[in-house]
Amino acid sequence: MNFRFSNRLYVAACWIIELLLVAGTETTQAQKSTVTDKNIKFIEYPDFPEAHSTWGSIGYNVASNTVHIGVTNHRDNIGLYTYEPVQNLMKLNGFISDMAHLRQFQWQGKIHSKIVAAPDGSIYFSTDGGESREEYLMEHPQGYGGGFFMKWNSKTGLQNLGMGMPYESIKDIDIDPKTGMLYGITYPQAHFLVYDPAKNHLRDFGRLASSHVPRILFTDWWGNCYYVDWRQRLVKYERDSDSLVFARESLPAFPGTPGSKIITGVTAYAKDEANGIIYLITYGAKLIAFHPEKDGIGKVTDLGGVIETGKAEAWGPYVPNLNIGKNGKLYYIIGGHGNYVLKDKTVLVECDPATGKKTILREYPITAMTEATGCDIRDKDGNLYFAARRNPSAKGDSTTPFLIQFNPEKEIRK
Amino acid sequence: MRNFFKKILLPLLFLTCTSPLLAQYTFFTPKEAFAIEVSLPNSAEKRLPMYRNAITSLTVQGDRILGGTTAKEGLSPYLFVASISGRKLITTKDLQESIPGQKSIATGFCKGTGNKLYAGTMGQRNQLAGHLLQVSIGNGDAIEVKDLGIPVAGEGIFTLLSNREGTELYGISYPSGRFFTYTIATKKVQVFDEVAPKEKELNNLHEYAVGPEVYLCKALIQDNAGLVYGSTAGNRVFAFDPAKKTFHFLETPLPAVWGREVLGQVEAWAKAPDGKLYGGNAADGQLFVLDPATKKIKNLGKPMMMARLQALAFGRDGRLYGLAGGAPGYSHLFYYDDKGAGFVDLGNPEFEMVAPGIEQGILWRGFQLSTLAASNDGKYMVMGEDEALSQLMIFPVGQ
Repeated sequence: MNFRFSNRLYVAACWIIELLLVAGTETTQAQKSTVTDKNIKFIEYPDFPEAHSTWGSIGYNVASNTVHIGVTNHRDNIGLYTYEPVQNLMKLNGFISDMAHLRQFQWQGKIHSKIVAAPDGSIYFSTDGGESREEYLMEHPQGYGGGFFMKWNSKTGLQNLGMGMPYESIKDIDIDPKTGMLYGITYPQAHFLVYDPAKNHLRDFGRLASSHVPRILFTDWWGNCYYVDWRQRLVKYERDSDSLVFARESLPAFPGTPGSKIITGVTAYAKDEANGIIYLITYGAKLIAFHPEKDGIGKVTDLGGVIETGKAEAWGPYVPNLNIGKNGKLYYIIGGHGNYVLKDKTVLVECDPATGKKTILREYPITAMTEATGCDIRDKDGNLYFAARRNPSAKGDSTTPFLIQFNPEKEIRK
Repeated sequence: MRNFFKKILLPLLFLTCTSPLLAQYTFFTPKEAFAIEVSLPNSAEKRLPMYRNAITSLTVQGDRILGGTTAKEGLSPYLFVASISGRKLITTKDLQESIPGQKSIATGFCKGTGNKLYAGTMGQRNQLAGHLLQVSIGNGDAIEVKDLGIPVAGEGIFTLLSNREGTELYGISYPSGRFFTYTIATKKVQVFDEVAPKEKELNNLHEYAVGPEVYLCKALIQDNAGLVYGSTAGNRVFAFDPAKKTFHFLETPLPAVWGREVLGQVEAWAKAPDGKLYGGNAADGQLFVLDPATKKIKNLGKPMMMARLQALAFGRDGRLYGLAGGAPGYSHLFYYDDKGAGFVDLGNPEFEMVAPGIEQGILWRGFQLSTLAASNDGKYMVMGEDEALSQLMIFPVGQ
């Protein structure tokens, strides 16, 4: 995720202290629930032995009721997978470098963006360098040329739509499903891009962030797109006015939240269109209900922390994922990048936004699940999906990716 | 032997590789460096609006930083004042209120007499004419602007310099690249064609598909003898004698990478205490030194991989600080110490920014830094960003 090393050291030190404090509260948080291992399935990615990880690179395609995942060796090869829940079939469609006819000097480290779908069943995503050589080598022979917008369709294959900015990754994208307009955010300079693939028209709206690039873009049901500035204020690309609108106030944060967490903004979202709410999680571990409005920014409601942290800092937990069940409850997995609310464990949490109650449903050692991503991914049967990885040795960064299928309301056929 | 390699040599090699790799995550963050939030949309704080705040002109007067901006096409630029000791933006002035229809204040600020400063503007694409401005910081840090008119009919002001006495201005017009003089007391303008590209040169430039932004002289400087130096298309350096009103061209060209002479353009100058003139060439980002006594140019090399060398200023430590590189990619801060380490690439600066609403401080990393100015005492270096939302970045210089 290109967190800087200095931050890693700092975060690791903070978490070691926090873990010692949190250990005593573990049993008070775990509560009984009806969710068992039968509600969860771990699905492996075939035909890619050196697969290392998945990032934000997951999305749901309503037209085909399929889940799409970009799986990387975190160096120069990315497999594009499709999971068909009805057939319980995980399939490798091919590798990005081959399908997009990329030359060696156009290497891509990963897909960091989510995978978004158009009504015709095509999916869109963007590519990312994902390594230090991206940010520092630039013009050098093995440096990074830049990230691409890409389109894939099961019938027509992969189409490379072109580069966003020279030397820059495209960390996240989203789509206006009505117009097909794509929105993108670049790394490391955090430029907001608006791209019309139908006209091949790309516009750069400029730099919006500070020393760390907030990862998440999301759209509302009118096709407006949201990001955050360095003060963790929502920034809306308003489709009708074709301009950026900045919120007056910052999103809620716990007192004492460090600036490094403020500038990273939102890490996950899930939409409840029926009730007009987009749920957000910040890097400072706040759960927020955002009520978008067609014109202007809209109301924000603070739903508290993502979990009760006891004596540990409330802004500490790291949550790079969020899904909403058919039951209206929110589900997320806490942990990753060295941050764990329980010692060396990721936890699956259920939150009932009606009551604000948060319950740890399952706990996983990091050897079984070290981190999960994925926002707003639910299939027709109410199954929720997370793009996860595990670290079997619990050492270093030797991870392997897998897909989580989770249904909070019924057992999953295995 | 295999075990020796696997168990001893390989780990040793790994360890030796580790520290330089980790060093990539360091940034230039000296103690007491800070950023000032100058631009922020939709705020109760005094801030510059989006797309009108690319900081393209800077000067420091005591504790006060005076900045001029460049706006996106169709929008008007700003002037602003910030305080170093207060670490905040104090005053802003929309140039549209004084001189409508301008796009850019990119000439920097030239010093006249009585704390008066001078700058030139560029007009919008469909109305290029630029104005000479007289600017001063008045009571209560109010920015006072006086319009001195259009020195070259139909042309913008691409470059501006004042003489040592603060009585005369020298400039380059845009897009024709004509040299002009402006006598402040009499408002007399003289325009010269000697350094403007000729038809043959323009034909050659057309083959390279480059515009006036690339080949016109972006910075002028005056030596201790009074000669004014600048560059012309074709990688040449000229000297203008204000007393005789004559031009001559130096025998030594600007440093160039073979085949890229067409990109030769001085875009920054700084005069050393010994009177030597240090310049930055946009073409391939070389730093060079011009000895006014011999009129020879010496190529000092490149501080970083990329083209551009947009700003230069001497600090009180005797080092020459500069901004190299730029879009695409991003600029690096460097210093050149001819008595010490030579070039030192400081990379990207990353300074703490504290402002109402972000009292805990956030880190601001500079990518597109294009302006740099030293305080009068050389204690502070002030850098301005060239972004959609640009901020000031300031660091102290040692003795």
